[in-house]
Amino acid sequence: MKGYNRKEIKESSLFLLPLLLFVSAFILIPVIGTMIDSTFLDVAFLKKRFSGLDNYRWMIRSPGFWQSVRFTLLFVMVSVPLEMILGLIFALLLNEPTPARGILRASVLVPWAIPAAVSARTWELIYNYNYGLANFVWRKLGFSAEPINWLGSEFGAFASLVIADTWKTTPFVAIILLAGISAIPGELHSQAKVDGASLFQRFAKITLPLIKPALMVALIFRTIDALRIFDIIYVLTRGGPGGATTSLSLYGYNYFLIGDFGYGSAVSAVLFGVALMLSIAYMKIGRFGEELK
Amino acid sequence: MRERKIKLVLVLTGSIFMLLFCLAPFLYMISASLSSNQYFLSTQGFFEITLENYRAILTAPSLHFIDYLRNSLIVSSATAVLTIFVASLAAYCVTRLAMPGKIFILFSVLAVSMFPQISLISYLFKFMAGLGWVNTYAALILPYIAWTLPLSLWILVSYFMQIPQDLDKAALIDGCSRWQILRKVIFPVAAPGIISTTLLAFIFAFNEFMFALMLTTDYHARTIPVGIALFQGLHGQTPWGNIMAASTFSTLPLVILTLVFQRRIIQGLTRGALKG
Repeated sequence: MKGYNRKEIKESSLFLLPLLLFVSAFILIPVIGTMIDSTFLDVAFLKKRFSGLDNYRWMIRSPGFWQSVRFTLLFVMVSVPLEMILGLIFALLLNEPTPARGILRASVLVPWAIPAAVSARTWELIYNYNYGLANFVWRKLGFSAEPINWLGSEFGAFASLVIADTWKTTPFVAIILLAGISAIPGELHSQAKVDGASLFQRFAKITLPLIKPALMVALIFRTIDALRIFDIIYVLTRGGPGGATTSLSLYGYNYFLIGDFGYGSAVSAVLFGVALMLSIAYMKIGRFGEELK
Repeated sequence: MRERKIKLVLVLTGSIFMLLFCLAPFLYMISASLSSNQYFLSTQGFFEITLENYRAILTAPSLHFIDYLRNSLIVSSATAVLTIFVASLAAYCVTRLAMPGKIFILFSVLAVSMFPQISLISYLFKFMAGLGWVNTYAALILPYIAWTLPLSLWILVSYFMQIPQDLDKAALIDGCSRWQILRKVIFPVAAPGIISTTLLAFIFAFNEFMFALMLTTDYHARTIPVGIALFQGLHGQTPWGNIMAASTFSTLPLVILTLVFQRRIIQGLTRGALKG
């Protein structure tokens, strides 16, 4: 091979070996195992046997599967745009040289640092019908005297999850976008100002186009993450009421829990396929590694 | 000037909203943990400060809070240290050594980090059950290392790339081996990057939920997120005071750590997502 010397290749392999071992043993092989399992009738205490695409056939005929697909897509379509808009606003604020910048920078990391499953317990208390913070604020603002049944109604549960997820993940979007915004040269804005461009014109014509790559990265990261949403749903609604908030991850998990590994694997394989396609799109857009070549 | 006034109003209202949005749930968690009753926001409620909830979680062995905390600290620290070791070896190779296909490996590892966890857990469970490792630290640490590697690798690559190659060449001429160069030249120069990556790996491992839920069965290996998520009262009613005290006690150090190292963490997160 031209340009490579054998000694260096040998050294390289040694340096890469631990990485490849860990990723293969605990990620790649498990994913392949899941794919294979999805073609088996594999239920605890029954004899495992090959069943071809049977699991997938059952899946597309199952109302529960389509309910979780609908919920997951709706969740992504509502929560991700909300997080992007709020994240952009936060990033713009974080970029302003105000006296409050230090405290804003500190507080934006608080939701990010707390484990989702732990903060979900706080949200559970916030949404408590009788004494939670949400109904307290609702009452104080005078919207209605009647408290809202946040977690018990279909719409309430959906809104609760979107709010809790937005709280947890907007900081990440804000940090990614802040990197894009702070890289814009200040002269661009001052020059446009001299030319008479207003605040909003400068935002629309300078800031937005220049942070497009950062926006795409945040958008795809968040979409993949929202598609596999699990922690906060497991804690807050456990998929209820009546399965209305069962995400695809939770739907698959519930089958693993009752010992139906074949069907659960088929559900996981579908989610995996979608995530893989999105991450390939992500790498195409990010054009990663160019400076390494 | 009119425009300046508009901007001032926007920034002011925006900042107040942002502060409230980010901190309100956290402050509510702390106040609920300090309240003698959980009804303090109801119409007939009252607020009375007490440390009883903290005393309960720290002294009642049946709640197992200390066990969860110890498990989380051990699992997350071990994960962070081992991940950095493995990731820096690979990052050194990717940035310094010639090898066919290393860019492909870097990309594949990135793709791997986006796999849904649900597509791994049934196999991981069977694997760990086969070894008799379910409910041990190893059952968590090993998958966690694999899970935190992609991000760590990408951040370290972006730091290592900034170190001039001449440093290596000089050391090579002096007769150092590659391993010695990594340890004696790269590590000290890239120390800030190593610190921020270690912190991020620690936080990622500390926050992980689904693997821990599936691979632990009780307090012998159960971590904080799962322990708190499954925390139930002994007498039917949810002990909110205890849960909020446990949440505060286990996340306050994390929050303080994040605030102290906020610059490094912001830098690390951006580098992991956007190239250097």
